[in-house]
Amino acid sequence: MLSRPALRAIANTTFVTACGVATVLALTALGFILYSLFKQGFGGLDLNIFTKDTPAPGSVGGLRNAIEGSLMMCAMAMAMAVGVGILAGTWLAEYGGAHPYGHVIRFLNDVLLAAPSILVGLFVYELVVRPLHGFSGFAGAVALALLAVPVVTRTTEDILRLQPDALREAGAALGTPRWTTIKEIIWRGAGGGLLTGGLLAFARISGETAPLLFTALSNQFQNLDLTKPMASLPAVIFQYALSAYDDWRRLAWAGALLIALTVLTINILGRVVAARGNHRP
Amino acid sequence: MNAMTAPESFVADLADSQVTLRARNLDFFYGKHQTLHSVNLPVARNAVTALIGPSGCGKSTLLRTFNRMYDLYAGQKAVGEVLLDGENLLTMKDVAKLRSRVGMVFQKPTPFPMSIYDNVAFGVRLYESKSKSEMDGIVEGALRKAALWEEVKDKLKASGLSLSGGQQQRLCVARGIAVEPEILLLDEPASALDPISTAKLEETIGELKSDYTIVIVTHNLSQAARISDYTGFMYLGKMIEFGPTDEIFMRPKVGRTQDYVCGRFG
Repeated sequence: MLSRPALRAIANTTFVTACGVATVLALTALGFILYSLFKQGFGGLDLNIFTKDTPAPGSVGGLRNAIEGSLMMCAMAMAMAVGVGILAGTWLAEYGGAHPYGHVIRFLNDVLLAAPSILVGLFVYELVVRPLHGFSGFAGAVALALLAVPVVTRTTEDILRLQPDALREAGAALGTPRWTTIKEIIWRGAGGGLLTGGLLAFARISGETAPLLFTALSNQFQNLDLTKPMASLPAVIFQYALSAYDDWRRLAWAGALLIALTVLTINILGRVVAARGNHRP
Repeated sequence: MNAMTAPESFVADLADSQVTLRARNLDFFYGKHQTLHSVNLPVARNAVTALIGPSGCGKSTLLRTFNRMYDLYAGQKAVGEVLLDGENLLTMKDVAKLRSRVGMVFQKPTPFPMSIYDNVAFGVRLYESKSKSEMDGIVEGALRKAALWEEVKDKLKASGLSLSGGQQQRLCVARGIAVEPEILLLDEPASALDPISTAKLEETIGELKSDYTIVIVTHNLSQAARISDYTGFMYLGKMIEFGPTDEIFMRPKVGRTQDYVCGRFG
């Protein structure tokens, strides 16, 4: 029979080892993904990527139309989603959260958060594409926005709830109207967290393919008109990665690397900005 | 003290001319649960009134009726009268105006996430637009009164959260007095501070009473004895005894007050 401290030591060692192994497994998988992404994608990254449109098989080309399309649709989606999401999250955290409606809305938001993105694509197909008689960059942006809104709403509510009630009381104690307290004090205190919510949402939508296939479709040529079908990096990757042509597959890898690098860069920049704006010693 | 003749409670009355705030038969409810029972309390102008009593006796609740802080929470309500210069503040329509007349500093320092300067200017900006130089003067004046100016005058643009706990609390005092209230409510303002910061804050309170009426809730009996002119002792939601601080601590009229200030319970 082992002594109690000895048993504890064994339990402790077992647990720490299990945690360590799990961490190493997760990081190894991530490492392999990044490694293959860089190995396959880096060779394809050249100036042509940014200056030429998607080519026919066998000819020289790039991803300019897809990059432009992705940037335009993501930017437009984020513009729609950040406004709606932050206001909805603020309502849940500050006004209606305890109300029966609040519970229903929070639940529906969580459902939307986990909704398969292909369903969102079909929904927008019915809602926008059919009535407007055609695939369009605008429909793509709406689909992406629908995916981003629940992420922003959820993080906004969580972050605002972390702000101490003492701060709300301190605002009220000066005679500050409720809305001014939220806008000037609570939002400001939560600035870094709100930014993180936006970044999470951007990361979520930047690689989405399924909802774009039903909405923006894709486009072999350059198109800056949001009412016409529009290319995007994920849609081009989907199309090219499955193709039989080596040059198309090279472009797909380069596109995947581009998305990963963009998300990474924006996240790092966001952290730096948030850290600088934080009112901490 | 003889149990036969000792009163259950004793609230000394002050002349109306001396009183700026007066609670009269005040009841308070958290939902169905009653936490204040017919509380009476006169608050003298330009003096420090301390509220003492064991935890849960209702002293913070009483303080929070004076600026209607309980309005923020559904299910809390006050019944009775709290007269501010003769007008019942419980029925006032303009709560923002009331709170500009009755300021509050909380237990934990609550600087806003903005610069030291903006913390002080925040409340003023709600009510009037001032020129830069006027605002500079108001900010400096408030920080001087709160005895913080010398420590922060070279870093007014730094975040309010970069200050030490004691400095943050004096910043909150400065923020409260910048809007020129008549009354300043302090809810255990020193309970999160070290002894040196506490001494500085007490000194500040002593200087402030020439311009403001101060009501302070404190757990610290010697603090109440040091800084207050009047003291109210509360127990189980009732005002057991109120009077000049010397009387309460040296010659209490109610047995329970005697027991509490001597440290026999609480």
